[in-house]
Amino acid sequence: MKTFLNKNSPYLFITPALFLLLIFSIVPIIISLIISFTDINITGLADWSKIHFIGLSNYVNLFNDPAFLQSIGNSIFYVVIGVPFVIACSMGIALLINFGDSWIFRLFRLIFYAPSITNVVAVAVVWNYLYNPQFGLLNYMLQFVHLGPVPWLQDPFIAKISLIILALWRAIGVNMLIFLAALQGIPKAYYEAAQIDGANSWQRLTKITIPMLRFATFFVTVTTLIGWLQFFEEPLVMTSGGPLNSTNSIALFIYQNGFQFSKFGYAAAGSMILFVIIIVVTLIQFRGQRKQQDNQM
Amino acid sequence: MNKAGKRIAVIFVSLLLILSFALSGCSSSSTGTTKKTITVWFFGDQPKPFQDLVAKFQKQSGINVNVQAIPWANAHDKLLTAVASKSGPDVITMGSSWMPEFAKAGALADLTPYLKDNPNLKPSNFFKGSVETAQYNGKYYGAPWYIDTRVLFYRTDLLKKVGYTQPPKTWDELLDAATKLSKRGKGYYGFNIDPKEQSTAFMFARQNGSNLIENGKTQFNQPAFVDAVTYMDKFIKQGATPKTDLGIDLTQSFGGKSFVPMFISGSWNIQTINTTVPDVKGKWATAVLPKGKDNNKSILGGADLTIFKYSKNKANSAKLLNYLSSEETQLKWLKISTDMPAVSSAWNSNQLKDNPFYKAFGEQAKTAEPLPLVPQFEEMAQGYLKSWEKIYRTGANVQKTLDQYNSSAQQILDNK
Amino acid sequence: MVLPFIWMLLSSVKTDMEILQIPPSIWPKSFTLDNFITLFTQMDFLVYLKNTIIIVLFSFVGMFLNAIAGYGFAKYRFKGKNSLFYLVLATMMIPGQVTMIPVYLLLNMAHLTNTLLGIALPGMVGAFGIFLFRQFMSTISDEIIEAARLDGCSEFYIFWKIILPISRPVLAVQGILTFIAGWNSFIWPLIIANDQKYYTLSVGLALLKGQHASNYALQMAGSAFMVIPIVIVFLALQKYILQGFNVSGMK
Repeated sequence: MKTFLNKNSPYLFITPALFLLLIFSIVPIIISLIISFTDINITGLADWSKIHFIGLSNYVNLFNDPAFLQSIGNSIFYVVIGVPFVIACSMGIALLINFGDSWIFRLFRLIFYAPSITNVVAVAVVWNYLYNPQFGLLNYMLQFVHLGPVPWLQDPFIAKISLIILALWRAIGVNMLIFLAALQGIPKAYYEAAQIDGANSWQRLTKITIPMLRFATFFVTVTTLIGWLQFFEEPLVMTSGGPLNSTNSIALFIYQNGFQFSKFGYAAAGSMILFVIIIVVTLIQFRGQRKQQDNQM
Repeated sequence: MNKAGKRIAVIFVSLLLILSFALSGCSSSSTGTTKKTITVWFFGDQPKPFQDLVAKFQKQSGINVNVQAIPWANAHDKLLTAVASKSGPDVITMGSSWMPEFAKAGALADLTPYLKDNPNLKPSNFFKGSVETAQYNGKYYGAPWYIDTRVLFYRTDLLKKVGYTQPPKTWDELLDAATKLSKRGKGYYGFNIDPKEQSTAFMFARQNGSNLIENGKTQFNQPAFVDAVTYMDKFIKQGATPKTDLGIDLTQSFGGKSFVPMFISGSWNIQTINTTVPDVKGKWATAVLPKGKDNNKSILGGADLTIFKYSKNKANSAKLLNYLSSEETQLKWLKISTDMPAVSSAWNSNQLKDNPFYKAFGEQAKTAEPLPLVPQFEEMAQGYLKSWEKIYRTGANVQKTLDQYNSSAQQILDNK
Repeated sequence: MVLPFIWMLLSSVKTDMEILQIPPSIWPKSFTLDNFITLFTQMDFLVYLKNTIIIVLFSFVGMFLNAIAGYGFAKYRFKGKNSLFYLVLATMMIPGQVTMIPVYLLLNMAHLTNTLLGIALPGMVGAFGIFLFRQFMSTISDEIIEAARLDGCSEFYIFWKIILPISRPVLAVQGILTFIAGWNSFIWPLIIANDQKYYTLSVGLALLKGQHASNYALQMAGSAFMVIPIVIVFLALQKYILQGFNVSGMK
């Protein structure tokens, strides 16, 4: 009995979680794939005999929908700008905060973590005030250095940047914690050895700390990337995708079509495309990571 | 058993305990639906007062009413799951703009068979426009519950200063007053056009004589509609309306020195103004809308009381609807919630007649009409907002932009 | 950085009128507890609290399942490991709104709608957690595990007695995240419950939001109240994040 348990333990370990994932994620994804080939809307939802298979029409229409194409472009912009910033900022802050455990460091941990637990309504209200073109705090402060006023949420390009800043502010907390936890796994002996070899602190950082963080960095990169591709809440509460559709993301586009207009087939097709994009990008990252590991061995 | 084994056992026993605790917590209640209980899905922020409102009905009829409050923001999601699973409540307080969608999907029961026993549900008791929201393909799917119509809110003191002792009566006067008010200085405007409010242009176009949709053809690039949008654009061009969203609430910009002393909106603003900017007390009023080329009709929305198609208690549910549609209940609800009665006779009561702010609403509701009652209208209206954004932000040609919009709207309409 | 957070706390004791004034005030002019009183009288507070706590407990069971699955993926070689892991990751990539209706229909078929179990199940395990545990447990050195095996420990014993203590920092991180997710759970309680007695605190709060006008003061009071337990849990768990066992040092 015991040997049986031990031999099959990896399967025993992963089965409960996989079972739940299978039911609550994978089966629904397959259902979404199927409905992406249909014209299902609310009438079809009530009466399944009214659902028709329409082949690839949803996909063809999507690629002819300027709003969808624009949202893909916006999402790429978010990823390209947002991902490096989130990683750099949360790693940097984690490194700084890791220096000590006195009350001041503990306070700073809470301060940097606070944004990610602040209610989204409060976030929207305060940031709307900060970004307000006429009465906002940011433009008010810019006045003193004779700059501005900056149309934070009114200009199609600046609005994207403004949303990235906001999302960065919200994302740092969790990723900082992950890096902090990872920093504990680095053996102190490495640093001691490096010190004996006469390495300065910059060398210790680049030669020991950052390479040793690669598992955490990889995790943060993958999840942040997926997060940015599914960027949704900030444009929804701050701009609803405007001005002129310039902040609309793929996920928001899907939400609008699926839940505001009840075009489930169309929304499902959109999410399948998003799904494929994310899988491709993630696989590329995994390849990259494996290559890196091979080189080190 | 070794130590590890014991630990495993402990964990599993505690897991089972937690699960069984949770399960037993639920199973006792799921036997629920006896014949004498009806479930109401109530969309809104005042579930407790609504429960109090139906208390009298429970006493009179012996029917138990179980109210489940559902947040507005997620009401649509919740309705979709009910339609998909064909199980849900008995009665729903449905937002009138969703009526066509759910009526078309066959999710609602026709009320016609219940009219005989429940005289309060007679369509002629309600405002004409309200009843229209409840009808789809000739059937009667809901009893109007409350109405939402839009009127003009204005600052009497500031309008007097620019020579208007009366509220603007025509489009020309509205534009003139707004332009004069905007001359008060930098950052001051006259009239608000909310860039996120989809109904504004359709309302103005109707006042200008447009039928919006005629025989299945969208009319959004016809002169009546184009002229209305051009008229709205004039407010922006002349600086009478903020070009960029001020980013503050309507009532915030209404109070104090008032950045925007005129706007068109619904009755909930009465209370918001009273509580958030009480300093303007006595300096503001409501009025019926200024008249366009053709009329001064406003739009009519609100909520309807509907019975879910898959309900097993339709007759009892209709009794509840009958109770809620009585003049007495409707006036009681007005007092609690400030939702305005859909029963037209209620407007003869002193409670409404003596309130100067409500008067304009009652007047306006007589002629107000709902937005086109097609399930795709929400999507069409969103498309309009994008076109409008193009026009006022980038100065795009009105006719050309609306030509484009009209053809895409036609496509949405044809695409059943 | 913390301005919105502070603003949220301070606004909870302001009147709605003061919140909306221009320019806004940071420090409340007149303290009022009315918002909190309204909050507690409008909500079936104790019922919602009980449901929320039960869901948090379920989430921690789910976290345990995530941890053990992450360990399975990190430290074993078995057939189909990579494809199974990609499958896990794939579940992270689809927006939640898309799977909502299928999940509802599945739970409905299993007669789990309107039960707390049905509310808790969809959110119990997640690819994020499994992935996080796998990444961290990959860095644990194999020698410890091998040594334990030579001593004749069972696999589960190794996980429970060796791996989990070593993983304390990441458990603390994931514990905070799990608590927050359970505490704030909103969409499933709303969709699965057909009775208000299964609502959670978040759903109760959402009920306070009107169709047109919103009472900001009330919402801020609710949010401020919701965030207090999170801050407590964060402060309690954060010290473990910095208490890593230096295991890989044995190399």
